[in-house]
Amino acid sequence: MNRKQIFYEDVHPGDPLPALTVTTDERQLFFFSAATYNGHRIHYDKDWARSAEGYDDVIVQGPLQAALLARAVTDWIGGRGRLVEYSVQNRAIALVGEQLIFGGSVTGKRLVDNVGLIDLEIAGRRDDTVLMPGTATVALPLRGDQP
Amino acid sequence: MSEQSLIDAESAARVGTVAATATGEANRRDWQRWAAAVGDHNPLWFDPEYARAQGYRDIICPPLFLQYAILGVTALNEVRPDGSSGAVSGSLAFPRAPRRMAGGESTTFHRPAYHHDKIDMVRTIESIVEKHGRSGTFVLVTWRTVYRNQQRQLLAEATTSMIARP
Repeated sequence: MNRKQIFYEDVHPGDPLPALTVTTDERQLFFFSAATYNGHRIHYDKDWARSAEGYDDVIVQGPLQAALLARAVTDWIGGRGRLVEYSVQNRAIALVGEQLIFGGSVTGKRLVDNVGLIDLEIAGRRDDTVLMPGTATVALPLRGDQP
Repeated sequence: MSEQSLIDAESAARVGTVAATATGEANRRDWQRWAAAVGDHNPLWFDPEYARAQGYRDIICPPLFLQYAILGVTALNEVRPDGSSGAVSGSLAFPRAPRRMAGGESTTFHRPAYHHDKIDMVRTIESIVEKHGRSGTFVLVTWRTVYRNQQRQLLAEATTSMIARP
């Protein structure tokens, strides 16, 4: 991640977030299921995913897509930025091994009680297909603020 | 409920009730394993010195991990055939719509959790509705969840949903 701190004053509507590109594999899905105590077979049992639930392969956990999209945001806001609101919808599934792109753009900025809030439109995509649309609000430090 | 409805009367009657309460502890090894599985090596989750330099008293729990800090234990014989446990969803099951997937989540984060913080969760069933989408009829369940720490401070408020399909 970028360790350079971004400040409220630096950000303008329309600015893009640096995109995060991830191609998952079975190991990542397994470790994520383990870390979230998720026993759902569609994330590790290919036969079950195909025959019982009709998918072509094991599928990426919705919460992993959400976590990757949040990572794109928290990487961008730096150590002094704070995730305030985070909202995503699972619109489409992703299969293991597909290249996924997580990113977004700034839709607005506002000062509320001297806190610099930035509104974002965010999405997880596979090529042009939006898998996970969402919005987020982050607080960024103002230049001159002390940590 | 009509005979065609995917929502059984028993599930419908639970709207507005508490689906689940749970208590857990934010644990840095657990959240770091989660972060590693996400490939998220943000030093706020790992490096106390870095976190202190940003104004925190120690490393903090990644906001999206909070929901897992309260997960309990499910006996194998209570796990559904599809491997899901149903514990945090309040064991809502829709026999006529057995295929389940997460719908979405919307969370407001108020303050961070630290290592060893005790986390209390209260989850209520906000709504259960039948929807007709392009891919057919499905059930949309929405929960509202509040997380507090041992000082009863509000950490996060979340609205989450699940989709159940025939």
